[in-house]
Amino acid sequence: MNLDLFSLQAAWRRTQPDAWTRRRFLQTASVATLAALAGAAPRSLRAASQTPRLPATADRVIVLWMGGGMAHTETFDPKRFTPYSTGLDPNTVLSTFPSIPTAVEGVRFSEGLEQIASVMDRGTLLRGMQAADLGFILHSRHQYNWHTGYVPPQTVAAPHLGAWIARTLGPMDPAVPAFINIGQRFDLGEGEELKAFTTAGFLGSEYGPFNVPFPEQAADAVRPPAGMGPDRFADRNKFYRRLLETSPIGQEGSDFQKESLLRAMDNAHRLLSSPASRAFDLSLEPLESTRRYFPGYQPGQRFDAPLDRFGGRYEEGMVGRFGLGCLLARRLCEVGARFIEVTTEYIPFLNWDTHENGHSRLVGMKRMIDAPVAQLVRDLDERGLLDRTLIVLASEFSRDMMMEGKPEKAVKDQVPVPEVITDPKHYGMHRHFTAAGSVLLFGGGMRRGHVHGITADERPCRTLKDPVTITELHATIYAALGIPPDHGYDVEKRPFYVTSDGKGVPVRSLFARA
Amino acid sequence: MPAVLSPSPLPAHSSPTLHAARTAGSAFSLTLALALAAPSLHASLLTAEQRATLPPAATRPVDFVRDIQPIFEASCVQCHGRGKAKGSFSIETRGDFLAGGDRGEPIVPGDSAHSLVVEMISGLSPDDVMPEKGKRLTAEQVALFRAWIDQGLAWPDSVNFHRHEPANLRPREVGTPAAAPGLEHPLDRWVDRYFRAQGAAWPAVVDDRTFARRVWFDTVGLPPPPEALAEFLSDPAPNRRERLVQRLLADDQGYAEHWLSFWNDLLRNDYRGTGYIDGGRKQITGWLYTALARNVPYDQFVAQLIHPNAEAEGFTRGILWRGAVNASMIPAMQASQNVAQVFLGVNLKCASCHDSFINEYTLADAYGLASVYADEPLEVAECDKPTGEFAQVKFLYAELGGIDPKASPEARKQRLVELITGQSNGRLPRTIVNRFWQRLLGHGLVEPVDEMDRPAWSPEIIDWLAEDFVANGYDLKHLLTRILTSRTYQLESVGLSEKPETFVFRGPVVRRLSAEQFSDSLRFITLGDYGKAATRYNRNVGLSDLGDALPLRPSWIWPTAGAERAAAPGGYMFKRTFTLPTGPTVATLAIAADDNYTLRINGSQLGNSARRASTSADHYDVTPHLCAGENVIELIAENLPPDDHRGDPIPAHKIDNPAGLLAYLRIRIGDEAHDVVTDRQWTAVPLRPATPAAAAPLAVVELGGLELSPWRLGPDFLDVAAAAPDTRPVARASLVAADPLMLALGRPNREQVVTVRLETATTLQALEMTNGGTLAALLRAGAQRVLAPTGGDLPAVIDGLYRRSLARPPTDAERALALDLVRAAPNPTAGIEDLIWALTMLPEFQLLR
Repeated sequence: MNLDLFSLQAAWRRTQPDAWTRRRFLQTASVATLAALAGAAPRSLRAASQTPRLPATADRVIVLWMGGGMAHTETFDPKRFTPYSTGLDPNTVLSTFPSIPTAVEGVRFSEGLEQIASVMDRGTLLRGMQAADLGFILHSRHQYNWHTGYVPPQTVAAPHLGAWIARTLGPMDPAVPAFINIGQRFDLGEGEELKAFTTAGFLGSEYGPFNVPFPEQAADAVRPPAGMGPDRFADRNKFYRRLLETSPIGQEGSDFQKESLLRAMDNAHRLLSSPASRAFDLSLEPLESTRRYFPGYQPGQRFDAPLDRFGGRYEEGMVGRFGLGCLLARRLCEVGARFIEVTTEYIPFLNWDTHENGHSRLVGMKRMIDAPVAQLVRDLDERGLLDRTLIVLASEFSRDMMMEGKPEKAVKDQVPVPEVITDPKHYGMHRHFTAAGSVLLFGGGMRRGHVHGITADERPCRTLKDPVTITELHATIYAALGIPPDHGYDVEKRPFYVTSDGKGVPVRSLFARA
Repeated sequence: MPAVLSPSPLPAHSSPTLHAARTAGSAFSLTLALALAAPSLHASLLTAEQRATLPPAATRPVDFVRDIQPIFEASCVQCHGRGKAKGSFSIETRGDFLAGGDRGEPIVPGDSAHSLVVEMISGLSPDDVMPEKGKRLTAEQVALFRAWIDQGLAWPDSVNFHRHEPANLRPREVGTPAAAPGLEHPLDRWVDRYFRAQGAAWPAVVDDRTFARRVWFDTVGLPPPPEALAEFLSDPAPNRRERLVQRLLADDQGYAEHWLSFWNDLLRNDYRGTGYIDGGRKQITGWLYTALARNVPYDQFVAQLIHPNAEAEGFTRGILWRGAVNASMIPAMQASQNVAQVFLGVNLKCASCHDSFINEYTLADAYGLASVYADEPLEVAECDKPTGEFAQVKFLYAELGGIDPKASPEARKQRLVELITGQSNGRLPRTIVNRFWQRLLGHGLVEPVDEMDRPAWSPEIIDWLAEDFVANGYDLKHLLTRILTSRTYQLESVGLSEKPETFVFRGPVVRRLSAEQFSDSLRFITLGDYGKAATRYNRNVGLSDLGDALPLRPSWIWPTAGAERAAAPGGYMFKRTFTLPTGPTVATLAIAADDNYTLRINGSQLGNSARRASTSADHYDVTPHLCAGENVIELIAENLPPDDHRGDPIPAHKIDNPAGLLAYLRIRIGDEAHDVVTDRQWTAVPLRPATPAAAAPLAVVELGGLELSPWRLGPDFLDVAAAAPDTRPVARASLVAADPLMLALGRPNREQVVTVRLETATTLQALEMTNGGTLAALLRAGAQRVLAPTGGDLPAVIDGLYRRSLARPPTDAERALALDLVRAAPNPTAGIEDLIWALTMLPEFQLLR
């Protein structure tokens, strides 16, 4: 951690007089500060006095990740609806759901997103998201690109968006990890590829993700290990302290290594015993409130639908898991989280990755996200947190029924599409489309009820106006947080920036006050 | 804490937009330069009015060294000197300077006002200014420059802007200073000189117990076992420390299993990760473990990696990512970067996209080395944009020799081996000496360890160690012994509080246990292991060397002749029937296939390879699957069309590609051998016959023996075939995939070469250790194992835990405390669990001091 953090924290403290004290900050910051001084951590490219900061419109970010490729024509950018009938020519199908109105006149969503539609007046919708051209399309590479801002492979391990933010701004509350990652398991396919970007990379693990793979079991992440009661946990720690004092080495003088170790243990214990840790415990949320995120919620409910890649029923069975993740995100915002990602979860051939049964599975996906996304917006707004919280709902690319890649850069098809549709499993958007995509933004200084970008009404439903690249989107997110796009750190003497080569340009017209 | 507020020094190229701007600018300036290229005289950049505003030439006599050289150094050589020539313009010598570049002649002799260089450095033509980036020249500098031209361009022959001779390149014999009393060890004599020069006294040496813990972790990666430690401590011999080092290094398995992690990091070898499933990446675990266990001399070790056979090729094959990748990350460029970084301590990553801003390496250097690993000439791309130019094969250091561009790919690799492992290359030994020193003493002789062009803080120490290492046959264990037995290594450790700009050596730096050492120590303390290895490697291969004793020699087989060069895609079931008088005493199978295999014996499927890149030998224990009477072994092998991982169509000439199958079935009945190998006695049936007639068994062709190219498995294969089944449990993290605990503790994802791990403790690590599931489960099972055999003698259990974890018995106070804890716990297992946790969280446990 660094001088940037110090001054930013100081600025934050001025706005939040009771949020925390300088002493607490120093306690927590010391590990990383020492690390930075020891040269173990990459240095900021700027001295503190030179850090040009933009005026921030947001203090924190929530990424709602639609892993697997969310078709824009089936969600936030509906086109002509063609109902299913046997013998359909796939070329004629653009949307498999009718469209519905939203709270903003003239802006329509796809059926199944009624609740999000009802809060569209608080959101900004980007319709021209451009995924990178990476040749043969792979989800994990595009997800890496979206989350780090860099195209894999890189010669150094690129940090995740959350790690960049954690490194640059630090935690908002020292007892809450600065980068919390909710809902992704790493043992269900392409796990290693997911791990490759779910990391602080060269910034060092201090800034890495605090992973909560099971939102419904989030409390476990801050509880004593299974089978250990709070008393025993406290006793164990007390014993450890006494042992430290008694140990001959413990009585010796201090050095950096020892200090950093003890400091880290202190920090961990502080998190586990802080009032903020109660935010992880969803059982403390009133049932009616939880049910606004997941209507069918039963206390103690677990989600364990079999990973059936071909039955087309998995998504229905998992409705609620993402909702609890959103609820957890709200609770963590309230106690001072800095960056949170909640994912619908990327699992090859499941969730948004609709290689088959594109239509029927999307019914489940929409049920999975509609209520909780809307409720998250409402709750944060109601609590006065939305203005300073930027919500970003996004996916690695879009989908289309016919086109793999984009018109000028078509790549090898991965999903066969029959000439005539005779089976409902072929009805839906099954190919990977990169020439458009929807991103929904709420709060954090973005405009309300605004649409940016236009896509074609006929296939290919590509971007016609106001395309936005990942680099520009990142620059916009960083700008909202007051971080310049060419803010960076030094790794192996090479400058490495928050946006690709430091060249990101924020989309100013998205900001309420441009 | 005032230190926090003092601004950190800026790195040399700290301008935040520098990198971006330069990379964008260079492509632009090239185009511009080409567009404006004039044969001789340049078109004037300045109007007459502008020219009138040029600073007048200085009137005093100009001295090149005093007045002009500093301008060149500060503003020009970064792009036009030290091996670089942007716009084909070099200023390395006066002749180069006068010859000009793409823009034509830089100078009009005697007429500075009309000289292109002056026009450009004047800044008067805003779109055409030199230097392109960075600070412009002052009027005073322009005036001096003009005067220099007008006064006749004096430039002493002794001054040039050639590349700097890199440090640590040539071998240097430094000999050994005379011994001072008590400082017999040659390394200590050099360190003594260092201390004297610094006016520093020798710090104290650690006690035997501290030394033992340090040296156990540094040789075999584990804490000292209490019995062995007691034996060492009671050894009255004055040279007991030397003897301990030798004894520990004689443990080939312990040494290999510990150092495997170090080499896995360097060579990007892992068991799971991007590319392994689809053949985009290949393990070298078998080769590496064997090489370590047998302590293969380092020059041969490197030679086998640079010009590899099928066992070791994973390192230079690199990682094939699916989809389009940046031009700087194609496999040949990965090989270039990794060979340079790992063996020569040089960072070519920047130079893989553009001439580097951080060192003197150029795009031509990176592509020159990459060309060794390219089958066809590589088109040079600058920042991922093709330049239309093709790379020339080239070695980084012309001083050491070159590579014939006309040589075959095989000959190029062989030549690279000669250049890198030849005795005139002093960089290879120094780089590994420095890595070992960094690992063992916490701070390299050269830092950072991958910037070996920089001088060491003690050139004599690194030079002497390198010289000694080479003189002793590049023996890595000899190098370790040299360091570990020195008084220097045995000094009390220094707590690093701040990394100073200039390093001063006062003793080893306190180190933290690695993820693997921590994880392995926990198993050691709790008498546990990891169960199965994540790799099919049989550790007996490295520990014995019996291949020559096998009675038979297998042949590579395939149904079509010449298949080692090219065979049509397709699969076959290869089959052999044989009779045994009784069931075997022991039977093992070694197998390799291009591209893959499935193994079946007597109808049972016993295993299969990865889908591609299965040309390293796998080992199976098949004893229970053979019986008296007739036995049938069936090997299904497939030759797949090549896959470039881009999803692009495969060129016709590449569709037919090498295919082959090699197997040695070693069968022992008592002392009798009943071995079966792949040869012409096998038959093959096509997997997908076009017609019923085509389903008839085919004869197979013996393509050639073990040395057959492209696989060249040689005796390595027979050693695998001769190895006894590996029945020992795996107790070392180096042989299993990373778990969440190891990841939290910094075991890296090995998509990039990792030469140094961050040792700083972090909150997320502490959280993982405080309530993470991996450690909790380990502790629970461990406590049960520890308690089970003791009959509830808690003081003895506590004593054992202290000895195994901290290499010492508990003090009375500690014992009493521990007993209190265990007795207060809900049950003894929980108490012991918590005690182990607390012990392993102590700095005394986690740090090597």
